[in-house]
Amino acid sequence: MNRHTLILSLLLATAGCSTAQPLIVTAPRPAPAARVPAPAPDETEAARGPDTRREPAFPPPAMEVRPLPPPATPVEPPPQTAPASVALLEQSRSQRAAGSLTAAASSIERALRIDPNNAELWLELGEIKLEDDDPLQAEQMARKALTLAGGDRVVAARAERLLARAASCARGGC
Amino acid sequence: MTTRRKRPAAKKKTARKKAPARRTRARRARRGSFFSGIIGLAVVLGLAGVVGFATYAALLGVEVSREFEARRWDVPAQVFATPLELYPGRRLARDDVVAELRRLGYREAAAADRPGRYRTRAGALDVVTRAYRYGAEEEPSRSVSIEFEGGQVARVIDASGSELPLLRFDPLQIGSVFPVHGEDRLILEPSEVPPLLIDALKAVEDRRFDQHLGIDLKGVLRAAFVNLRAGEIRQGASTLTQQLVRSYFLSNERTWSRKLREAVMALALELHYEKDELLHAYINEVYLAQDGARAIHGFGLGSQFYFGKPLAELELHELALLVAQVRGPTYYNPKRHPERALARRNLVLEQLAEQGIIDPADARAAAARELDVLPEAGRAASYYAAFLGLVRRQLYEEYPRDELERRGLQVLTTLDPAVQAAAESALARELDAIQANRENAPPLEGAVVVTNPHNAEVLALVGSRKSGYDGFNRALDARRPIGSLIKPVVYLAALESGRYTLASPIDDAPIEIQLENGQTWLPKNFDDRARGIVPLARALAESLNMATVRLGMDVGLEPIADLLMRLGLEQRPRPYPSLLLGALGLTPYEVAQIYNSLANGGFRTPLKAVRAVVSEDGERVQRYPLEIMAAARADDVYALNTALVQVMEHGTGASIRRALGSDLTVAGKTGTSDDLRDSWFAGFTSDRLVVVWVGNDENRPTGLTGATGAGRVWSSVLRAIDTMPYTAPPPPEILLTWIDFDTGLATEPTCPRAVQIAVPRGEEPPFARACGDVRPRPGVQIRRFFRRAFE
Repeated sequence: MNRHTLILSLLLATAGCSTAQPLIVTAPRPAPAARVPAPAPDETEAARGPDTRREPAFPPPAMEVRPLPPPATPVEPPPQTAPASVALLEQSRSQRAAGSLTAAASSIERALRIDPNNAELWLELGEIKLEDDDPLQAEQMARKALTLAGGDRVVAARAERLLARAASCARGGC
Repeated sequence: MTTRRKRPAAKKKTARKKAPARRTRARRARRGSFFSGIIGLAVVLGLAGVVGFATYAALLGVEVSREFEARRWDVPAQVFATPLELYPGRRLARDDVVAELRRLGYREAAAADRPGRYRTRAGALDVVTRAYRYGAEEEPSRSVSIEFEGGQVARVIDASGSELPLLRFDPLQIGSVFPVHGEDRLILEPSEVPPLLIDALKAVEDRRFDQHLGIDLKGVLRAAFVNLRAGEIRQGASTLTQQLVRSYFLSNERTWSRKLREAVMALALELHYEKDELLHAYINEVYLAQDGARAIHGFGLGSQFYFGKPLAELELHELALLVAQVRGPTYYNPKRHPERALARRNLVLEQLAEQGIIDPADARAAAARELDVLPEAGRAASYYAAFLGLVRRQLYEEYPRDELERRGLQVLTTLDPAVQAAAESALARELDAIQANRENAPPLEGAVVVTNPHNAEVLALVGSRKSGYDGFNRALDARRPIGSLIKPVVYLAALESGRYTLASPIDDAPIEIQLENGQTWLPKNFDDRARGIVPLARALAESLNMATVRLGMDVGLEPIADLLMRLGLEQRPRPYPSLLLGALGLTPYEVAQIYNSLANGGFRTPLKAVRAVVSEDGERVQRYPLEIMAAARADDVYALNTALVQVMEHGTGASIRRALGSDLTVAGKTGTSDDLRDSWFAGFTSDRLVVVWVGNDENRPTGLTGATGAGRVWSSVLRAIDTMPYTAPPPPEILLTWIDFDTGLATEPTCPRAVQIAVPRGEEPPFARACGDVRPRPGVQIRRFFRRAFE
């Protein structure tokens, strides 16, 4: 008797043939009820007297004099850049050369997580955006790089060039 | 009742006996045709029954096959945290890295000889990473040594002895977007299933799996015999196929019709599919644990759930425990009933040895081991409830539910497990400490949001003191008045107006505001004292209300509301005067959005929790790329941020700054709402923004200011995370200069009340005659300076 005929004959003769055993299926428990949120401030709040409350004590007259943090050191020249950023920058450039702009942008984003104040990385991302037909983001990345350039004229000049190219691309004159 | 009923029945019988003989004869005459009729009817009914049953069986067959096909690869989207990256210079000590590896389920061993194992040495760590796919990128397993110096990663050296610039680990799976009915699973490919598991399942659950046809009559008899002899249930006779069917239809009722249905479906499955297909489906389907609302199905997820590591890395005693769970994850729950679980596990080991599947000596060694399941805290899934809530919200905006719940998408998120752990424990610990010191205080709750301001990635989100549970997500849903957290926006609007610098004087004197409803509003300072004329920098640092209202009314409410929108607020607030002191209800997440734009130097980027969504095969990737938008002039934001540094150095944030106990430069602002109901703190370093809210769910006064409540949590978070001091290069048109904190006049850095601020070039304040002198040195700029301020 082949397997299928046997199954069919069994179908006709079937009764529940399994013995009971500890169950393998349990219906999931319901999720715990969420806490009832506190009421949001009402409309009248705007008309009420606002914050007039105690905040920490007035500082002692003799203040500790601290200068503001020293300005961030310029990110160029590259030797100051972390080897990890350099490696990712190189990876991005080869991805870009191979035509994979998405991967190239992704590598720069990864580098920026490690080295967010590196103006060169922002410029690189801006140039990728420009190549990817996104002059608006190219411009924004150039602006961001400019805020991080500090006194670095090389970076500033590169950012200005990117700004100009992005502007002309935005006008359709790429 | 019973007797009364009997009597009429008895009467009937007697009546029947008295029936006329005539009728009996007639019946006898018809008997032949009567019997043939009965037979005919029986045949008809029998045929109808066969047809009916066949139809029933066929329908069940279709139903179960459809379910089988649908569920075969039905896998909820898996959600991953951001992967750990190590590189020379990363400020992580060896023990920090070990903590991260343990979170990933890596185990310490005498030798790092296979993926998922590490070994610690003095100042170094040897580890074999797991192979994985992150998005479209495949990473192989690597054997590396990581060397540490001075609390930093010094070198990462691979097996060939060369230094790696960067090493990325497999990302932690933090949960999945499982369907409403709560089933979560992680589908294993046939190649990922260890042969031992297959042998063990057959040996323990269904010895005749390879021979039977879905139901096992011999097995039933054998099980009955074995159980009878043992006096306990040692063997069941439900085949794996029957268990699979039962698992599909989530039914526990023990009725004959259910058993019939199950048996018919099991036979139908056997008819349609091969044995190995059924076994593989079973391995991915069987129910193994319950985690709150989430039902853990399949051995892939079961392994992650109980042991925090992939199935392939399980040791014999761990694998045996999983197999033991098949019989009843509730009854044999290793956390609640460890002794039962242990006994069942060891029975499994014994059976495997008896059947020659494993060596008896190995079985004995494994039986001597602990259960080794993860402690409650190590559980990945619901542990990140608040963050997963955010991920779901962002995903449901773009993906149909069905796609998220069934298509096996991989969701790559921005969560940093170390930062999340730091934020959770800081909130819980500080609120416990605050509560312990105050009697009769209303129960405190809190929320924390941590971002990387440069790309607006949300690194951590805590929605409650008890962070491991689903519940009210205060980070996203508690909308509370932000109090003085609004002030930086008022001051930034003032700088944008071009009529003020941080040195400009503003009068902190009583002010009356006529409201639209005819009432008069008289804002007051926290201590009811007026400071008189102060520079903007001090008014902000000390959070002076009267000065701020005067400034805001002069700048205008509309520009301030506009600026809030530019910085990332989605709904335009009503431009009431009380907006100037923060009578505006926002969630911690919305506050984080606004402050992120400040911390990012004036660039707005929508906060994001999802980096990419990848299809199951890794082929299609939906990325959410980094996009920024200049929202305010970089010069103005730079100047404002220097003032926010002074808040922390000399103002309302000074106690929080001191509590940091390090030289970490930070920028931030306290916020307190009416009657001390809400305590806020928002502040940032060069690469982290942290927003904290502390309050009471019933909106009762807490007695906490921004500094004593949220600020305390904030400094505790900052102490625990890896971050760099706040710093930014001054824009070319901006000058850093020293002023007297009381007068705003330029002064020598050595004067006792000198603070450094940023002003636009050409707008420098006049020099004071001496330290603390209110009179400026004579000069042409004086008149211009004061005229500008009081115009």
